[in-house]
Amino acid sequence: MLEAFMLQASSYAADIDFVVNLVGVLVGFWFFLCSGVFFYFIFRYRAKDGVKAEWITGEVKSQKNWVFYPHLLVLVCDVFILAAAIRVWVDVKQVIPEENTPVRIVSQQWAWTFVHPGPDGELDTPDDITKIDELHLETNRVYRYELSSLDVMHDFSVPVFRLKQDAIPGRIIQGWFKPTMAGEFDVQCAEMCGIGHGLMPARVYVESPEQHAMWMAQHAPKSLAAITAP
Amino acid sequence: MAPLRTLRFLAAGAVWALAISASPVLAEDAPTGEQIFALCTQCHGSVGQGNVAVAAPPISGMDEWYVAKQLRKYQTGARGKHAADHEGLKMRPMVRFLKTDAWVDNVAAHVAGLPRHTPEATLIGGDSERGKGLYGPCAACHGQAGEGVQATNGAPLVGLSDWYLYSSIEKFKAGIRGSDPLDTDGAVMRGMAMILVDDQAMKDVIAHIMTFSN
Ligand code: HEC
Ligand code: HEC
Ligand SMILES: [Cu+2]
Repeated sequence: MLEAFMLQASSYAADIDFVVNLVGVLVGFWFFLCSGVFFYFIFRYRAKDGVKAEWITGEVKSQKNWVFYPHLLVLVCDVFILAAAIRVWVDVKQVIPEENTPVRIVSQQWAWTFVHPGPDGELDTPDDITKIDELHLETNRVYRYELSSLDVMHDFSVPVFRLKQDAIPGRIIQGWFKPTMAGEFDVQCAEMCGIGHGLMPARVYVESPEQHAMWMAQHAPKSLAAITAP
Repeated sequence: MAPLRTLRFLAAGAVWALAISASPVLAEDAPTGEQIFALCTQCHGSVGQGNVAVAAPPISGMDEWYVAKQLRKYQTGARGKHAADHEGLKMRPMVRFLKTDAWVDNVAAHVAGLPRHTPEATLIGGDSERGKGLYGPCAACHGQAGEGVQATNGAPLVGLSDWYLYSSIEKFKAGIRGSDPLDTDGAVMRGMAMILVDDQAMKDVIAHIMTFSN
């Protein structure tokens, strides 16, 4: 349903959409049912000659049942929503897959700095590739991000990944994602962060492993290129 | 003060709205420099006097060619795209707002027409007499009185605040500015910044540059 509006480009995008859809369907069901009952009653008990309006206090059992039973049923729906939401929450936000490639994301007013680990897959080594407003990833690889902020709160949001994570000054927040679709996608800041908030878009480039290797070779830090040149 | 602030805010808002609604047709007749400048005042101050709190240097009265050139450098990423250039990264997104060349030219002309700011000294420990000697080689590109020399792309230095001069020279030395392959004249300045071997030399030469403003 939602993928018609926004591509699902990460491994958990469909799971998150499932929860959103589930909430939509269950809440939608009760919304339309209640609206129907209300409109029916409004019509059925409309003003009629010779019938006096009545004040109902809602203490009679037969009247209370109209609230009591639906409310139990709604609670049952909540259990389904909670179960689905907790499952997705644990999977997306609580457990980082063991095998992963780190990537550092630094937010500031008003730019994103992405530190890619380079060919060795490790941060803080000489082959790291630092880019402003450009994040290059490989399809079907699990990335563990380390998100921080240099000044105020920002929010790293990649709609096609269904990923949205606040960046909080003074904290390094870890999480993960796994791109599943090659392409070029938007990154937005989703937390009001000052005058340049709307002017800090970035891009994610998801590439095939071969393309990604080529990109890394082309953008290897200069000093390193000098060392490894023949 | 309060009504003036509100007015400025509204003016900035109006330009923003213009920018957002700018269709290709509208882009042809760009807003005036004064209209665009309403955005710049948010950081560079109401008359372009600069604001140390947001690290925005004074720009009022700077030569038009230099202002336009810097704005274009921010647009192409020749300046302000280094991960350690935290101030440049704040300025860089602001030029995304300048839709066409005409916007750049209009605002640059407006900035150049503003009366030049007289900065106050904030750095201590600089010896302007020693700085005078150190400034010798700088004059070839920046002019005897720091007025800037377009033929050498040498920036005007008169009117700039000492804290900004300091951080700029530091950035040149560290390769945070002037190291982008697109920034060829920044690269020239990088080499010159190396002449100022230590903190004291930087402060001395800055103390001398500050005398140009009086
Ligand atoms: C969000 C704050 C902000 C806004 C808004 C802003 N600037 Fe800046 N600007 C800065 C900062 C910070 C710097 C200093 C960058 C550095 O230290 O390298 C700067 C630097 C500059 C420079 C370079 C000065 C020099 O001496 O090289 C020019 C020119 C400039 N801004 C013009 C403008 C214009 C024109 C506008 C309006 C369209 C504008 N700025 C809007 C923050 C801002
Ligand atoms: C060979 C020419 C040359 C010489 C000599 C030179 N500079 Fe520069 N300088 C430049 C150029 C070109 C720029 C503009 C760089 C740019 O466009 O970003 C510049 C920029 C600067 C800036 C930044 C101005 C601004 O508004 O951001 C400062 C500060 C500066 N120079 C100081 C000095 C000092 C101090 C010396 C002497 C030690 C010196 N320069 C010598 C060419 C030179
Ligand atoms: Cu932000």
